[in-house]
Amino acid sequence: MILYDAHHLAPCYAVRLLAGCLGVTLELEPLDVYPGHANQTEAFLALNPLGTLPVLVDGPCIITDWLEALAHLALTHDRAWFPAEHAALIGWLGMARDLGASAGAARLIDTFGAPGDAAAARAQANALLDEVERRLWFSERGFGERIGQDWLIEGPHPSIADLACFVFIAPCEDGGLSLRDRPALRRWCDRVRFLPGFVSMSGVFPPMANTGR
Amino acid sequence: MSGLQPGVWYAIAAEHDLPKDHVYRTMLGGHELAAWRSTDGAVHVWEDRCPHRGVRFSLGEVVGDELRCQYHAWRFGKTGACTFIPAQPDLKVPRTIHAAVWPVALSAGLVWSGIEPTGAPPELPPGAVLRAIPIARAAASVAHALVKEPLSGLALVLQPLDETATIVRGIALDDDLVRADHALLALRRRLEQAA
Amino acid sequence: MTPVDPILWNDWHPVAARCMLDPARAHETMLLGVPLVVTINADGTIAVQRVDHAAPHQDERYGLVWVCLGTPTREILPIPEADEPDRPIVVVGSVGVRASGPRVIENFLDLGHLGYVHARYLGDDPHTRVLPYTVEPLPEGGIIATQCKMFQPQASPAATEGFMVDYIYKVERPLATCLYKANPVQRDRFDIIFLIVQPVTEETSIAHPLLLCLPDGTTPAALRAFQQTIFMQDKPILENQVPKRLPLADGAELPIAADKSSVAYRRWLSAIGLTWGVIRADEKARAA
Repeated sequence: MILYDAHHLAPCYAVRLLAGCLGVTLELEPLDVYPGHANQTEAFLALNPLGTLPVLVDGPCIITDWLEALAHLALTHDRAWFPAEHAALIGWLGMARDLGASAGAARLIDTFGAPGDAAAARAQANALLDEVERRLWFSERGFGERIGQDWLIEGPHPSIADLACFVFIAPCEDGGLSLRDRPALRRWCDRVRFLPGFVSMSGVFPPMANTGR
Repeated sequence: MSGLQPGVWYAIAAEHDLPKDHVYRTMLGGHELAAWRSTDGAVHVWEDRCPHRGVRFSLGEVVGDELRCQYHAWRFGKTGACTFIPAQPDLKVPRTIHAAVWPVALSAGLVWSGIEPTGAPPELPPGAVLRAIPIARAAASVAHALVKEPLSGLALVLQPLDETATIVRGIALDDDLVRADHALLALRRRLEQAA
Repeated sequence: MTPVDPILWNDWHPVAARCMLDPARAHETMLLGVPLVVTINADGTIAVQRVDHAAPHQDERYGLVWVCLGTPTREILPIPEADEPDRPIVVVGSVGVRASGPRVIENFLDLGHLGYVHARYLGDDPHTRVLPYTVEPLPEGGIIATQCKMFQPQASPAATEGFMVDYIYKVERPLATCLYKANPVQRDRFDIIFLIVQPVTEETSIAHPLLLCLPDGTTPAALRAFQQTIFMQDKPILENQVPKRLPLADGAELPIAADKSSVAYRRWLSAIGLTWGVIRADEKARAA
C-alpha cells in the first residue's frame, strides 16, 4: 500500500496513525507541498484532480478522501475500529471534517501562511471544541446506566472517529486555540497518545522514552 | 496582578480531572497552575512552569511519582524537587532547583488551592460534581449574575482565571448533571452575549 | 508610541521567501509591529510596501526578501558559504511561531533537548548527556560555540547509521544563528543550517530556515521535509515557554553547565542593550 503523504498535514497523519495502531506498513511517498506545491503538478493531479493529500493506493483502489482511507484500512484490517452499528460514527466523522475546516485551517494559516481568515477559523473551532469537550465529559463521567467511556463512540475500543478528530484537536494550539479549559479533551488526547502503535506528527508529543509504556 | 485574596481556598479542579499519569492544567488569578497525582493518590499543585527554561509542566508527562518536563526531560518528584537532569546525569541536583509548590486541599470532590489559604476549604452540600464551565467574564460579573438570578439546585463556587475569565464549579444537589450543564451553559450565553 | 528597539529597527530582516510568493495573491506580513505587503509580478519582480508610508529599504538575498524599516547600520547578514559553487541554497519554508525571536534563537543553540524533543532524529535516550563544549565571543559581535558533540541516530536524511556529530554554532546578529554540522558522508566538511528569525511582534515571530548542504543525493524536498519536521517539533515547546519574552537577568531561569551557549547569548543581548523580545535585568515586570 502506498500513501502519498505530507508529514505536517493532519489528514495524512490520520492515515499514518491508524496504520500504526493497526500494525500495517505503508510505503510513504512524501510530497513537498510547502513550499514546493508538489500536489499541484500534472502528475499528481492525474492521480487526484482535487490536488489534496493524502492519497492511499491499495492495489487497484485509489482512495483520494482521507476519511474513506481510514474506513478502508479499518474494514480490511480490524473492524473494531469501524463501529458500523453506531450512527454516531457518521456524526463524528462529519465533526472531524468540520474540525479540519476550522482548527486545521487556523493551524495552516498561522504556521505555514496558508490563505484564509484565522480569526474566523478559530471562532468556528472554539464552538466545535466546546461541544466535543461537553460530549467527552459526559461520556467519561457516564450517567444513567452507562459506565465511564474512554472514546468518542460508546464501547471499549477506539474508532477511526477518535483518530480523525485527534489529528486536528491535538495540535490545535499551533493555530492559536487552547485546550487549557478543556480538561476532558486533554485526558482523551493522552489516551490516544498511549495507544499501542501510536505514531506522532511533529508537534504532537509521543509518550516520553524510557517510561515503560 | 492577581486579584486573588490571600487566605482563601479556591476550587481549581475536580478530583476526576486528575487520573493517573496525567498533568492537569489551569489558571488561578493570573497564575498558571499544573496539577497531578502521585501513585499514592496525593495531589500536587505547582506553578505551571519548569524552573529551567520556563516550559509549562502541563506539556510534560507524569511517570509514576515524577513529572518530566517535555523540553529536557528534567524529572521532578512529589515534593517538587528536581531529581534528575539527563544532560548531566552524574550531577547531584542542587536543592535550589525545584517546582514552585502551591497548597492543596481535597474536599467535596474538588481540588482547592490558593495563596496562604487558612482553615479548611468551604463545605459544599452532597451531590454530583458538575462539569466545570469557563465563562469569558470576570468573577465579579459572574457572581453578580448568580445573585440576580440564582440557579436552583446547584451549589456553586467560582474560580477566577484572570481579570477576564472565570470557571464555575460546584455540585448538583439532585445529581442531575445534564440539567445543571444546561443551566450553566445558558448562564454563559447570557453573560457572554451581553455587552 | 515608544520607539522600536533601534538595534533591530536599523537592521535587515527577512519578511518572505521568494518561493512562497504568488502573483495572484499579495503576501501580508508584519515586521517589528509594522504591517507590510509583499507582492510579486508575473515577471518575478518583488516589491515590499508599507501602508501610508514610503517603501522601506528592501533587497533579496539567499532566496529571501529582506527589509530594513529604519536606516541600515550594516549590510544584510553575509553568508560567504552561499558563494561556494557546490552548495545550493535550499529555502526550507517559513514557519510562524507564537514565541519571541530571542526564545527561538536560544532554542536553536540548545543541545539538551535534541534527544527528547527531536528523539530519533537528532539525538536519543540514553545518549542525551551533553558533553562539555566551548563558547567564545565573536570579534564582530555575537558568540561561537565549538566542540559541541551529540550522538545522533539519524542526523540528516542521507545518514544511514547513527554517529557522534560535531557541531559549531554561531550567533552573529541578535536574531540570526547558524550551525555547522559534520556532513554524514564527507565527514571533514560541514553542512550549514541558518535560522533567521523575523520579529513580527515581541511575542510572535516567523522563522526562516535556510540550508546550505553539500550535495549527497538528498533532494531539496527531502531536506526541507526534515528541517520542517524538526522545527514543528520545537514549535509547541517555544509556544509554551513562560514568560514569552526572554528573561536576561541572571537567575531568572536556571541554567546548568550544558546551557553555556544560552547563558552567553543572553549576556550578549544584555551587553548590546537589546530591548525587543526580552525582559531586561533591570526591568520591573511589565506584564510578563
